[in-house]
Amino acid sequence: MGRISFDDVGRVFGPSNKGVVALQDINLGVEDREFVAIVGPSGCGKTTCLRLVAGFDFPSSGTVSVDGKTVRSPGPERAVVFQQFALFPWKTVYDNIEIGLRNQGVAREQRRERIGAILDLMGLQSYAESFPHQLSGGMQQRVAIARAYVLDPDVLLMDEPFGALDAQTRVVMQEELVRLARKNPRTVLFITHAVEEAVYLADRVAIMTRAPGRIKEIMDVASVRKAENWDSYERIEEVMDLESFVHMRTHIWRSLREEKAAQPAE
Amino acid sequence: MRQRTLIGVVTIAALIALWFLATTVLELVSPGRFPSPPDTIAALWHVMLGGYGGGTLIEHVYFSLRLVALGFIVAIVTGVPLGLLMGWSRRAEALINPIFLIIRPIPPLAWIPLAILWLGLGDGAKILVIWFAAFVPSVINSYAGVRNIDRPTLEAAAMLGMPRFRFVTEVLLPGASPMIFTGLRLSLQASWTTLVAAELVGAFYGLGRVLNVAQQDLYPGMILVGMIAVAILGWGTTRLLGLVETRALAWNQAALAAKG
Amino acid sequence: MPRSLSPGQSALLGLIGFAAFIGFWYGLTAAGIMTRQFLPPPWEVLERFVHLLNTRFAGATLLQHLAASFERFAYGFILAAVIGIPLGLLMGWYRLLDQIVTPIFDGLRFIAPIAWVPFAALWFGTGIGGPIMIIFAGAFPPCLINAYRGAKFVEPRLIEAAQMLGTPGRRVVSEVLLPASVPSIISGLRVSAGLGWQSLVGAELIVASAGVGYLMVQGQANMSTETVMSGMIAIGIVGLLLDMALRATERAILRRRGLET
Repeated sequence: MGRISFDDVGRVFGPSNKGVVALQDINLGVEDREFVAIVGPSGCGKTTCLRLVAGFDFPSSGTVSVDGKTVRSPGPERAVVFQQFALFPWKTVYDNIEIGLRNQGVAREQRRERIGAILDLMGLQSYAESFPHQLSGGMQQRVAIARAYVLDPDVLLMDEPFGALDAQTRVVMQEELVRLARKNPRTVLFITHAVEEAVYLADRVAIMTRAPGRIKEIMDVASVRKAENWDSYERIEEVMDLESFVHMRTHIWRSLREEKAAQPAE
Repeated sequence: MRQRTLIGVVTIAALIALWFLATTVLELVSPGRFPSPPDTIAALWHVMLGGYGGGTLIEHVYFSLRLVALGFIVAIVTGVPLGLLMGWSRRAEALINPIFLIIRPIPPLAWIPLAILWLGLGDGAKILVIWFAAFVPSVINSYAGVRNIDRPTLEAAAMLGMPRFRFVTEVLLPGASPMIFTGLRLSLQASWTTLVAAELVGAFYGLGRVLNVAQQDLYPGMILVGMIAVAILGWGTTRLLGLVETRALAWNQAALAAKG
Repeated sequence: MPRSLSPGQSALLGLIGFAAFIGFWYGLTAAGIMTRQFLPPPWEVLERFVHLLNTRFAGATLLQHLAASFERFAYGFILAAVIGIPLGLLMGWYRLLDQIVTPIFDGLRFIAPIAWVPFAALWFGTGIGGPIMIIFAGAFPPCLINAYRGAKFVEPRLIEAAQMLGTPGRRVVSEVLLPASVPSIISGLRVSAGLGWQSLVGAELIVASAGVGYLMVQGQANMSTETVMSGMIAIGIVGLLLDMALRATERAILRRRGLET
């Protein structure tokens, strides 16, 4: 379960008469176990979309709902992975992953089992007792993903999760995420400004316009992926060389560029 | 912001009402322990018109204010240049630091008995103690101010071949000034604390003297008047320093913004 | 550019500075510029200090006076921390509480802690209660302010992360705001200990019948400059040890968080 839907969502920051319109007329549905990426120029409101689903922020008009229930507060069924990891620096890796389970009242033995399994899955076995600052950025983000995944959330919200990582680590993490998504599919809303990343990871890519943020176009990647059999390739660079991939990427680039040209004042 | 002001005003009004209620109306608090509003106003008239503890309120205020101003100014004039020197020259720092390390842990108030032994109960002892109290924060913050100037700024000045005197007035002093003012604020605070303590220990005039006599006379109304007077003077002089700072640091928008 | 010195050079210069200080002090006394009663030579002060450690003056030995002072300090300081830190954290989380407490606190902040002496004596006497209240008045503001600032400046993502992990509102204070504010709180405690210790000295100078401050007042009354200076040395040493202990704690915590510079 985990169907996200945005219905006529608008978000205005500041006083209602002369505030800044961040989002306007957003209509988007994410199906259960679908991976949707939102791309757009910085400041277009894509992160705001994610924060509305997370329950950190609320729409000025329209509704955001998950499984038909309007979002009113943050909760563990809508786990978030932040760009800056947001791990608790005073807790070990194990304790960071454990918090959510403790809050849910999961028994100690079960907690240990589930955390052990997720540590294995993310390749973090030997770091359970480390503190976040002792790990590299990539490892920290694995912990943050593990912390979200261990809760078995209906929806996974990822806010430019690889934005703070260096290029090599980023590629490794993208491949890992694909592996994880295959093994343990979830509804994912993924925010990024990197076009390749969106095309590589997502089933559908929503392209947003600059302020006021609207959804300009939604691209169906899944059907192309299936038709061209992208999943048969092990490595990201092989997929990226495929004509179908290049075609898709170029299309999105062009769409974003037209967006820029439409605003000559900048 | 407006909600904040409103709640603030309501809180203060509620406190005053509560004070009135607890002392005058319900008589929950004995007047020998804490004065009622009428007691306080009576005490205020008493000290303003008739005088108390050797002078009228205005005289005491003038006396205390003068000592703080003298001590504070002496401390700035000696402390800030020393701090700048220690910040600039590693050699001066290494030479002076040990003396500082010995003197610094001794709280300024602990100098009061020695100052009285040396200079008696008059103005001299108080100015000396206030000077000690205000000196340390002036030095330390001026020192830190110089050390916090970005390296590129210093390098740019060196590249421009600035003569030494203009380097001090145009680079060192302005660069260190946000921290210098932080130090001055701390110095001012220390000056007031020290003055009150010194006057409580022994004085012929001043607000501390008022507090001391009121304590001996078991006169709660006058104690409160003395405390309020000290608080208002502390607040007023801090405000004044703030105005000077705003003027002096007009170039430094970041420093002002950071203070909110 | 300030030129750096080698450790040897700076140790040498430090030694010269220290020697110059002692030498200047000695010179003043030896040259007869100042009478012995005005400024006794360094070793006489040292001698007096050692003598006082085991000999009763003003009713007790220096060590007993120190113990009396420290006991008061500990009570006042702990009281300030126990009330100030939780209140500061809660103010950082509950806006209404912040809006109610801040104007009161701002009003009281400008009253020098020492100005509470008359009321403290009136309410709690001059034994242990009065001085504790004055120490509290000195030590309380930094505890409150630093806990409040710590809580206000917590990385908002950490609060969001805790909420998204299902942490209820009240527990966000204890599980996120408190641990995240620890570095700020500890540096507040250092300031607080310094101010509290200084307030204690002030209180003992004015109202007390034991403690190092009282010893100094008695020394002053007897025109014994050595005794007064011995008291200053004792106060300085205890103040320094306190600060060193808190500084070590601060460093240990920062190292654990990987924040040490």
